[in-house]
Amino acid sequence: MSESDASDASDGGETDDAGTDGDGDDGDDGEEGWPEEAIELVQAIADTKFVLSQRYAEWMLAGPSLEDDIGGASAAQDEAGHVRQLFRLLAGEGREQGWLEGNREPAEFANAAPLDAASGSWTDHLVSVAVSDRAAWYLLDSIVHEDFSGLGEKIGEDEFFHLEYHDARLETLAADEPRALQSALGRTLPGALAFIGPADYDDGADPLVDTGFTDRSVTAIREGFLAYFDDCFAGTDVSLDAIDRHAPEIDEWNGTRRRVGEGEIEASTLDQLTGRKNELYRIQ
Amino acid sequence: MSSAGASTEPAASVDSVESGTPSEESDALFGPEEGSSDLEARLWDLVDEVPDPHIPVSLVEMGMIYDITVDEGDVAVEMTFPCMGCPAYDMIQDDIRGICRPEAGVESVTIEIVWDPVWSKDMLTPEVREKMRESGISL
Repeated sequence: MSESDASDASDGGETDDAGTDGDGDDGDDGEEGWPEEAIELVQAIADTKFVLSQRYAEWMLAGPSLEDDIGGASAAQDEAGHVRQLFRLLAGEGREQGWLEGNREPAEFANAAPLDAASGSWTDHLVSVAVSDRAAWYLLDSIVHEDFSGLGEKIGEDEFFHLEYHDARLETLAADEPRALQSALGRTLPGALAFIGPADYDDGADPLVDTGFTDRSVTAIREGFLAYFDDCFAGTDVSLDAIDRHAPEIDEWNGTRRRVGEGEIEASTLDQLTGRKNELYRIQ
Repeated sequence: MSSAGASTEPAASVDSVESGTPSEESDALFGPEEGSSDLEARLWDLVDEVPDPHIPVSLVEMGMIYDITVDEGDVAVEMTFPCMGCPAYDMIQDDIRGICRPEAGVESVTIEIVWDPVWSKDMLTPEVREKMRESGISL
C-alpha cells in the first residue's frame, strides 16, 4: 500500500462507530482485505503503541536518571513511528484516518488496560509500559501476513532496545523496590494478559491462526509472556505466585478492545494525543 | 519476524540486505538500472541532491531510495527510512516531490514507503561511510 492509498481514507468523510469509511467494503477494492479479527488485533496493537508513546513522553523529563529520560524520549519517538505505519495499514483496510488519529471517544481506543491512567510513580510507570510494550510486541511478532513484510522486522529492531531497557530496569527495581514492583505487577499483569487474548484461543482454536494471519496462538503467546516474567524475577524477592495469571474466558472478553470490563484513557490523555491545545501552531 | 512458537525476542539488527543494482557512476547501493530512461536517470540525479536532514549525505547515498520509475509522466519513488519514527518523515517526502515535479516530462510524483528490504548500515558504501566518518559520525 502506498502513501497515496492511505491518504485516500483521510478525507474526513462519514464514518461508522468502528471508524470505517462507511462504504461497506474493505477499503482496498479489488483485493481481499484482512479478516475483521485481524483488523481489530492490529487496531489494538496500534492504539497501545499510540498511548505508549504518550506514557513514555510523560516521564522523559522525570525519570530517576538522565539515561532513563533519554531512553523514554527515544522509545516515545519509536512508538510514534510504529503507530504511523500501523495506522497507514489500517487506513488501507478502511479505517478513517481522522478517527485513527484521535477523532473518537476514549472508550473507542483499544489500548492495553495498564496504560489507561498516567502513572504516579516511576515504578508504576516502568511496569505499566514494560508489560504493555512486551505484550504488544509479542502479538505483532505473531503476524505473518505479507503486508507486514519488513515492517515487523523493522519494528522488532526498535523493540529489541525497548525490551532490553525494561529488562535492566525491572532487574534493578526487583533488587531495590521489590514490594512496590510486586504491587505494580499485581495491578498490571491481569490487564496485559487480557490484552493478549482469551483462554479459549489455544493451538486448536485461534481464529487468526486459522486464517493464516498469525503463526501462533494466543495461548502460546501468553505462555511465552508469563515465562519471561517468571525467568526475569527468578532468584529475587518478587514472586508472581500470588498474582492472577489467568486469561479471561471468551464470554467475558471484549474482542474489539481486548480487555475485560470497562475502563478507558482519560480525556486529558486524548487531548495530549491529538495535540488539541496546540492546533494553532500546527503546520498544515 | 520470528518463526519459533513463542520465542518473540526481537533482533537487534539485520545482517543481510537484498542486492541493489547500482549504476557504474553512482557510489550508492541503489540507482538507475540498465534500461532506465533518460528521465529516470535525471530524476535519480535530482533526488541525489536532496540531503538527509540529519546526516551530511544525500537520500540516495543513505540507501533510502530503492527505485524511481516513470510511466507516462507519473513518477513512482519507492523509498524507506532508517528510522521509523523519523521526525522529518513528511519533510523528506515533500523535498522529493519538490525537486522532481518541475522536471520536464513529470506530471505527478507518488512516493511509496516500503520496509522490505529493511534498511541497514550495510547499504552504505565505503565512500559514504568515509564521508560520514569525516563528519564525525561513527558507524
